[in-house]
Amino acid sequence: MTSVSRRTLLKLFAGASTCAVCGNVHANRLSYDLAATEIASGTWAVHGKTEYFTLENGGNIVNVAFVEVPDGVVVIDTGPSKRYGEALAALIEKTLPGKPVLRVYNTHHHPDHFLGNQGFDRAVLATSQGVIDNIAAEGDGFTDNMYRLVGDWMRGTSSVAPGKALEAASEDIGGRRFSLSYLNGHTSADLVIRDDETGVVFTGDLAFLNRAPTTPHADIQAWQTSLAQLDQMDRELFLPGHGKIDKSNESLQQTSDYLDWLSSTIKQAASRGYTMNEAMSTAIPARFASLDVVDQEYQRSVVHLYLQMEDELMPIIEPK
Amino acid sequence: MVRLLSTSLVVAGLCLVNVSTGLVSTASARELPADPLNSVMWKNMAERFFPGEHVVIDQRVIVDIPIEVEDQMQLPVTVDATELSDVIEIIALADLNPIPHILTVRPLKAQPFIGFRVKVEQSTPIRVGVLTSDGVWHVNGVNVNAAGGGCTAPANAHSNSQWYKTLGQARAITKRETADSARLAMRLRHPMDTGLAPGIPVFYMNQLQVRSATGEALADVELFEPVSENPTLTLKPLVEDGESELLVYARDTEGNEFEYPLTVPAEVDN
Repeated sequence: MTSVSRRTLLKLFAGASTCAVCGNVHANRLSYDLAATEIASGTWAVHGKTEYFTLENGGNIVNVAFVEVPDGVVVIDTGPSKRYGEALAALIEKTLPGKPVLRVYNTHHHPDHFLGNQGFDRAVLATSQGVIDNIAAEGDGFTDNMYRLVGDWMRGTSSVAPGKALEAASEDIGGRRFSLSYLNGHTSADLVIRDDETGVVFTGDLAFLNRAPTTPHADIQAWQTSLAQLDQMDRELFLPGHGKIDKSNESLQQTSDYLDWLSSTIKQAASRGYTMNEAMSTAIPARFASLDVVDQEYQRSVVHLYLQMEDELMPIIEPK
Repeated sequence: MVRLLSTSLVVAGLCLVNVSTGLVSTASARELPADPLNSVMWKNMAERFFPGEHVVIDQRVIVDIPIEVEDQMQLPVTVDATELSDVIEIIALADLNPIPHILTVRPLKAQPFIGFRVKVEQSTPIRVGVLTSDGVWHVNGVNVNAAGGGCTAPANAHSNSQWYKTLGQARAITKRETADSARLAMRLRHPMDTGLAPGIPVFYMNQLQVRSATGEALADVELFEPVSENPTLTLKPLVEDGESELLVYARDTEGNEFEYPLTVPAEVDN
């Protein structure tokens, strides 16, 4: 065999085997298979798994939503990756063919809620100035960490902050009124959106249901205040950031109860001079044991909250 | 989190054989047990930090660490070697940190126990060696999964140009846990600069000693660059009956010295 024909043959084989891998295994594995559930008239939720980020779930652990308004579509949050954002845009087009996306809200700056922004036209992305600032400060770091946690699902993803900063208490989008509440506690800026027509309230991560709340940027006291405000809202139902829809106020109560326990447990440990590791070995009470990923989230919360609890509870001592 | 079983396990060692110019030599080798953490740095770590004849892997050295590192600037570690007797020294290492040596504790008159927090540069074994008076190193550890950059990022302190004004400010909690043993949790304000962040020279608290009222050393801690900013140590010094006075002495690499008087209450509170 001549060297030329041997090279051709090798190429042929290489091409064939690459194709086989790409075509079957990869395409199947890296598809989010998003499904829309109609939770109120003209309102769809796309529910994620109530897990932590893994190579298997590709970061699809979050609830996003879209609403049909007279002239188009309004989207609440965009998921964890470019791939997710594109899949969400395709799902919207499939559900509401030909309807333009007029507005995309980001409830806060955590990676599972905004890293799908690349799936949408930047001109329609909007949130509060606080969320925009938080994305500018931490978005790139989150993106790096998401590549580490979920791998190839993130391909091509970069942090895109909305260009439009919202301030108004409400706005009209495509013939529908949306009320906007600028709360905080889960992070320093949490945007809550209420559809004034249907009474659906999109809480972002101020509310969780049957999935342990996360606290990397939490101010527990402010969070409790925000939960009380949410409970005062005139609404038909809540869509929590994670978990099923809530037609009563179960998600608010459960989140509030968990935060109370978390805060008092970590305070108790810090005030006794326990190490973080000792604090992490505290037993989770039975009423929270059924919350998804509670063991993992409790340990993460110890790391998030311990320094601040030590600041409050460890007495200052004077040098000699 | 990993809480390792309290059963002793001594792994049979591999004899390290040097083959060169046709001769088999064991001159520089000693029997090292296989590394349960499968670290490429195991042999190097053992040579540098665990000198002497005997190294055993020992589950009685309890190394409590969350496997997923939530904050690479503050990975909490608690080491409990109270199941071993006659502990001379405890060394904590992060194999794959640019500076692996985290700290060394000599529990002179203290329980062989320490809590601390460490910066990690990447996923790494966190390894602890405990030297007992019979000359045996009892080694155990955990592989942790981390995002990068803990050792090469500037300390938070440097976001405030007046950071040095609060140097050495301290917080502490003291409790009597048993009739003759106290718990001391202490946090000292110090940037713990590794020298690896651009433009910031090395500057860290390198020595801390817990002393009795009479000046007797109870626990001696040598700290190194990887210890987290505002070092927070938890120690269990042995104390006399009744209300007891302790003195903590600390010193940094620039020669700044700090002394903190502390009181251990008379009543047991556990």
